[in-house]
Amino acid sequence: MDNNPTAAGAVVLRMRGIVKRYAAVAALQGVDFTLLRGEVMALLGENGAGKSTLVKILAGLERPDAGTIEINGQVIRLRTPTHSLQAGVAYVTQELSIVAPLSVAENICLGGGGRSAIWTSRQLADQVRPFLALVGLDKIDPTTPAGSLSVAQQQLVEIARLLSRNARILILDEPTAALSDAEIEKVKLVVRNLAAEGRSIIYVTHRLGEVFEIADRVTIFRNGRSFEPVRVAGLDIDELIEHLLGRRLEQMFPPRSAGFGPVLLSLHDVVAPGLVKPVSLDLHEGEIFCLAGQLGSGANAVVRAIAGVVPRDAGSITLRTTPQRPRSVRDAISVKIGYCSDDRKRDGIFAVRNLYENLTAPALRRITVAGLLSRKREVAISTKLAQLFEIAADRLGSSAGKLSGGNQQKVALGKWLAIEPSVLLVEEPTRGVDVGARAEIYRHLRTLANRGLAIMVVSSDNQEVLGLADTVATFFRGRLVRIAGANTLKAEELFRDVTHPGDAAAGGIT
Amino acid sequence: MRSLRIVADLLQTGSAREIDAALLARRRWITTTFVVLGILILFVAAGVTTPVFLTFQNLLVVIRNASITGIIALGMSYVTISGNLFALSAEELSILSACIFGWLLRAKFGLATSLLVTLVGAGCGGAVQGGIIALGADPIITTLAFGGFFRGVASVVSGNQNILLGTHAAQWLGTGRPLGVPTQSWAFVILTLLAWFVLQKTRIGRLVVLTGANRAAATAAALRVGQGALIGMVLLGVCCGIAGISAPAQFGYAVANLYQGLNFDVIAAILVGGIALRGGQGSPIQAALGAIFISLLENFMLLHDFTTGFRTTVVGALVAAATCLFHVLQRSRA
Repeated sequence: MDNNPTAAGAVVLRMRGIVKRYAAVAALQGVDFTLLRGEVMALLGENGAGKSTLVKILAGLERPDAGTIEINGQVIRLRTPTHSLQAGVAYVTQELSIVAPLSVAENICLGGGGRSAIWTSRQLADQVRPFLALVGLDKIDPTTPAGSLSVAQQQLVEIARLLSRNARILILDEPTAALSDAEIEKVKLVVRNLAAEGRSIIYVTHRLGEVFEIADRVTIFRNGRSFEPVRVAGLDIDELIEHLLGRRLEQMFPPRSAGFGPVLLSLHDVVAPGLVKPVSLDLHEGEIFCLAGQLGSGANAVVRAIAGVVPRDAGSITLRTTPQRPRSVRDAISVKIGYCSDDRKRDGIFAVRNLYENLTAPALRRITVAGLLSRKREVAISTKLAQLFEIAADRLGSSAGKLSGGNQQKVALGKWLAIEPSVLLVEEPTRGVDVGARAEIYRHLRTLANRGLAIMVVSSDNQEVLGLADTVATFFRGRLVRIAGANTLKAEELFRDVTHPGDAAAGGIT
Repeated sequence: MRSLRIVADLLQTGSAREIDAALLARRRWITTTFVVLGILILFVAAGVTTPVFLTFQNLLVVIRNASITGIIALGMSYVTISGNLFALSAEELSILSACIFGWLLRAKFGLATSLLVTLVGAGCGGAVQGGIIALGADPIITTLAFGGFFRGVASVVSGNQNILLGTHAAQWLGTGRPLGVPTQSWAFVILTLLAWFVLQKTRIGRLVVLTGANRAAATAAALRVGQGALIGMVLLGVCCGIAGISAPAQFGYAVANLYQGLNFDVIAAILVGGIALRGGQGSPIQAALGAIFISLLENFMLLHDFTTGFRTTVVGALVAAATCLFHVLQRSRA
């Protein structure tokens, strides 16, 4: 039965013993994975658990160091994305590759080849209609420019393009991350239809709810290993969470502080790009204040306004008793406010430089005497910071890009301590960080808070918010929903606040 | 390409599982090793095949030939390391500096004044381009445009004639030989050490490196990234000024068609020296070694009566090969 690819329920894809290492980090340590015909398989796992690496190997974007891949019973090597597509594997990323000025039909045929050199837009439109119908876009005129469609529709056009190349295995990487609720429903329906048609879908997601609604089976990843796939029907959500985290929450997070100092930073009626309603809140010395919200919630707009990254439109920010008008990151740094963005690869680390240089970058003046660098000071400061964040001292000479995600994040965070900040603003402190390093980062943040630093964390990870914060402010679509002590806030309340608070909550308490 | 890949793989064998520090140190070492190795091989090959090659006289010629390209390559290495690729106006700014220097001396200004005005002018020429690049303009396009401008001004200043200096004041600068070594070679060596020191040991140097390594991260760390671009271009400008003074001082006249092909030679020195084009890595020493290597190669071919066309072909092929090789090396490093 395994070797008969046409039968429903036959194994279309079998991966065995897949190993992938990035320098010192083992992203996958002997992962097995199977996919049946006509099923939706959800991939679940914490950031850095290995699911995106597996998906990239399937898509031909990465090559495994060991292991075999069989598609329809034949061992196959996927060296490039083209290879993968020829083997019937299609990867739909979060970054769309739609060419906005071209028509929908042209976008679907893009790069497809095999057509005559001359065509009319009508011929093209006729060719693509069946594929548009497959993704539920049969009402769309194929000659309209793709740029005029909504994001969800563009995503569906992208799927249609892959279907037109006869993709039998579709990989959807967090397809709903940027979509509205109504659009999410549309995408889910298409996924179900494609599965019913006999195609197999690998569905990568962070949202547990989606798994129960859409998937037939789920494969859980943890620390570079995969578990036997389990049927979703009859699965218990608590069991699932325990599987995912692999350790109890108490072990993951350090104890909260007993109490904190006076108000350090005060926001009054602050409005900034990304916020619909004014925000007021107080940050105390020694407090970890989490701003919880999904993409587009406006939570990051608050810290960005404090950090001087985006201009503030209205309201006042007071540090101790001094009103602040940060117009740039430099202004914020000069009053000892450090800001660590959510994209460390882009602006958090200098990948090609060593850790000495990385850790002292925001405080060049502290390591120079009359314009000359003092090697002694540089070593002293970076060694101290490395100790604080438990980065091995013999790693200081290696380039930041070679470190694991967790260590990179420690560098991105740690360098801000070089300016001896009083306020630390951090977006998504554990994005792309493995579970072990996560717990470490939480512990370090808590240690800093206990020393009197005021820390504001923006996070879309609800577990993180509940476990790490002293105080939580929830955000939804540009509005502050509520501020609550973390030990009084229930998980369900937090979840509802950041996904779909009632109108009363969204409109009332701001 | 395939064989290059194999070479790159061979060089990495055994080191793949070592800890990162050793791995990276080794690879950085490799980039510099290629050019040093090239220099040594050329030495042996030339010494065996051509008796003239290893004479002191010829070696001085080699170093002197390398020095003009080398001095400018030092400045260019700052531009590259700061993340701004290349300035395509180095040749033109050198020509303009030569013409201004010649014009000043002919107009009976003193040597010190002429030197100062030329160097400051050349620095300003770099600063203007650097300022525009710092505002976000593309470095290649900007310097290409300014190159045309500089060449035009040089033609106007010289009236497309030889500017005879009419004085021997500058002669020592061009033909002097303290301790038997030409002044240009002295300048080359001293400036190499200076450029290395500034990049390694000063805050300005660190600013240039970090700006090139990751502009966004440098901005986020409140470093003045505009200054990084500016510093690189100003230093390049001053280097062009120094190079521009050399020829008139040596020959006694300036003219607008000096330094032909200099832009290419300088870029070749950077590439052969193995400085990473994406910025944030490399050292002026690599640029200097690259310049010496190319000069040696040229000299070797000249002694073997290679035709001009053939010499150009070989250097071009070498640059292409170096670019491919380092690209492969860097990809495996990324």
